[in-house]
Amino acid sequence: MDKILRIDMGAEGGPKVTTAPLGEYAGLGGRAFTSAVVSKEVPPLCHPLGADNKLVIAPGLLSGTAAAMSGRLSVGCKSPLTGGIKEANAGGQASQVLARLGYAAVILEGKPKGDVLYKVLINKDGVKVIPDNSLCMLGNYDLVDKMKTEYGDKITCISIGPAGEMKLPNSSVAITDMELRPTRHAGRGGVGAVMGAKGVKVMVLDDTGMKMRQPKDPEKFKDANKRFVDGLRKHPVTGEGLPAYGTNVLTNIINEAGAYPTKNFMWGRFDTCHKISGETQAETEKARGGVETHGCHRGCVIRCSGIYMNKDGHYLTKQPEYETVWAFGGHCHIDDLDAIAMLDRLCDDYGLDTIETGVTIGVAMEAGLAKFGDAQAAINLVKEVGKGTPLGRILGSGAAIAGKVFGVERVPVVKNQALPAYDPRGVQGIGVTYATTPMGADHTAGYAIATNILKVGGFVDPLKPQGQIELSRNLQIATAAVDSTGMCLFIAFALLDQPDTFQALLDIINAFYGLALTADGVTELGKKVLKMERDFNARAGFTKEQDRLPEFFKKESLPPHNITFMVKDEELDSLFNW
Amino acid sequence: MEKTGGKGLEGLNLSVSPEQAARFHPLMQEGFLVRAEIGCTIKTLLCDQFGVSPDYLETRVQTVFLNGKPVDDVDSAAVPAGATLALSAAMPGLVGATLRRGGYYAAMRSDITYRKEDIHTTKGKGLVRIKLFNLLGPELAPTFLARGIWLRSSRLQEFLSRLPDEFWTRCRAIHLDGTAITAAALRRVIWPDSVEPVRLSVTLAE
Repeated sequence: MDKILRIDMGAEGGPKVTTAPLGEYAGLGGRAFTSAVVSKEVPPLCHPLGADNKLVIAPGLLSGTAAAMSGRLSVGCKSPLTGGIKEANAGGQASQVLARLGYAAVILEGKPKGDVLYKVLINKDGVKVIPDNSLCMLGNYDLVDKMKTEYGDKITCISIGPAGEMKLPNSSVAITDMELRPTRHAGRGGVGAVMGAKGVKVMVLDDTGMKMRQPKDPEKFKDANKRFVDGLRKHPVTGEGLPAYGTNVLTNIINEAGAYPTKNFMWGRFDTCHKISGETQAETEKARGGVETHGCHRGCVIRCSGIYMNKDGHYLTKQPEYETVWAFGGHCHIDDLDAIAMLDRLCDDYGLDTIETGVTIGVAMEAGLAKFGDAQAAINLVKEVGKGTPLGRILGSGAAIAGKVFGVERVPVVKNQALPAYDPRGVQGIGVTYATTPMGADHTAGYAIATNILKVGGFVDPLKPQGQIELSRNLQIATAAVDSTGMCLFIAFALLDQPDTFQALLDIINAFYGLALTADGVTELGKKVLKMERDFNARAGFTKEQDRLPEFFKKESLPPHNITFMVKDEELDSLFNW
Repeated sequence: MEKTGGKGLEGLNLSVSPEQAARFHPLMQEGFLVRAEIGCTIKTLLCDQFGVSPDYLETRVQTVFLNGKPVDDVDSAAVPAGATLALSAAMPGLVGATLRRGGYYAAMRSDITYRKEDIHTTKGKGLVRIKLFNLLGPELAPTFLARGIWLRSSRLQEFLSRLPDEFWTRCRAIHLDGTAITAAALRRVIWPDSVEPVRLSVTLAE
């Protein structure tokens, strides 16, 4: 993983491929890599779909190694949805494969002339960029099937669906999983539209003939990895809860807390949420011959995913995540698990972010385009996006634009990006992260729960209400660092309770690279990433006024606890004072 | 002949094999009523009255809600009549960690946290609604089902009607208000008013 692959899609005479050493980007991975490139090389005021924007695809520091949980892939650019810097990441096979092929990043640059659509083939022998307009407007599932027919079943695909080709601001980049299905998505912020603007439909990766990346100190690496895996397996969240029920295990809990956004954030409880809970989902999968415990990439030991079958026992989609189930479920007042699974399938096929899509449908329901709870109407609206009708293009542009077009006041977005599945009035600390992260409303921006071990920013008394700003700040720093390793964020739960598991993670990195990284070093990396991202956004025209939740969170109280969002603007503005 | 059922204290008892226990798990997440001495702490209710081991409560039950409010201290939070008590294992996600009792991130949900002054309690007998989420459902279901849970008769009727024939074929015994009956007879039972709670107990037997 010692080189960068750059493809200038707008070069004279057709796409031009170059490889170069890492240079100043050496030592970076994942989000640190993508944000460094975007921050340094992309003019902040450029049009996100223009030639000056770049799409940076980077494996994590430990991807392609034998380290467990190291398969997250980061995708970065200037976002068509938020107008700011964006890093979206996903599981699937691509991160491991790209790293084994030796690439620390693939950067798509420039803009092709005309309407030619390309596929990019990357294997041990090199890189080919081939025009192929037969791929136009294919859904991700058909596209991957076609690639499998042409290049065999040892491949991994990074692709866009029709939404990306239409350059819709809510379009994702799909990554194939272990079964070669396009179920893992770098979903947030419209990264698929940037790939579409570069004219690239699919990147076909094949690491046949390549070996796993080797650590500098194999014995120490092996020992640290074993301790790390043992730590994950013995923790009740990573070893039991997530494998048994997936992330949707949260539905009952968040609902009970009265923080489950229901009917476009009108209520904090959904009376029939047990019909779509993780418990019910797992039982359904088991009864239909699906799989309720499954990894999204090789090397995953948590295995929080699954395979969802339809009523006839045929594959429909991967196990929908908590956020997806909420976005189409509680948010749209739909308690039909099969309908939600179908909506998940459609989003994966069209190349749409499920959070943004579900929130947009809820906003459309509030506008009267469909009734809350009407599952078939929700499916029909999402199909409009796939067909590319004028209505579909509006809906595919995300909740903020749909809200404007249809005259809705209650539009749950920050920096034009839809809020995820936790009402910030119920859990105010997460509202701080939604408001202030450079990414737009994002629950994963402050997710890496290791701040107690990292002691980021000094000790914070967790029982003092005023600690929320500090906690959010520290979480954002820790998350930026973990996002750079390529590690799945779900390792964070074991790190929270088990300092020895955190140490094992550091030991893995150190043994692999021959470093002596400490917790302080991790903190510095996180701060560095956040500073780059904040700086980019400031140069793109963002001010503190964008670090706010929508007004209705301050004005409308949320049942059942009947509270509003009470963190003051001045407190939000102090978050990045470290 | 149709029988009026569920009015007696004993209610419906089913004897089933342990493999059939999972059939009752949906009731755990939806919630059920228990008759209890109320006004005591959560720990007293669960451990002294329902036989949950203190060690299990301490290590396994990491997330507790009393009337929808996250509880940090099960030794001091008192359970009033009509309360809803929801229990869960440790949960993923930042918010999952935030809701954990006494957790490092408790400040992030301080506005909804249970406080002693939130609820006035008096001692006596009463009904409490229990919800058992995720891992705790399968683990604690046998304890509560053996002692008996109360469900609205309409919910119990619906639940029974959805159990497959295979369940009834393998069901060892059915007793309604102390009298042995067949599955066919159970289907013909006329239950009391739909909101009236009816006792269901389950005996697990090899």
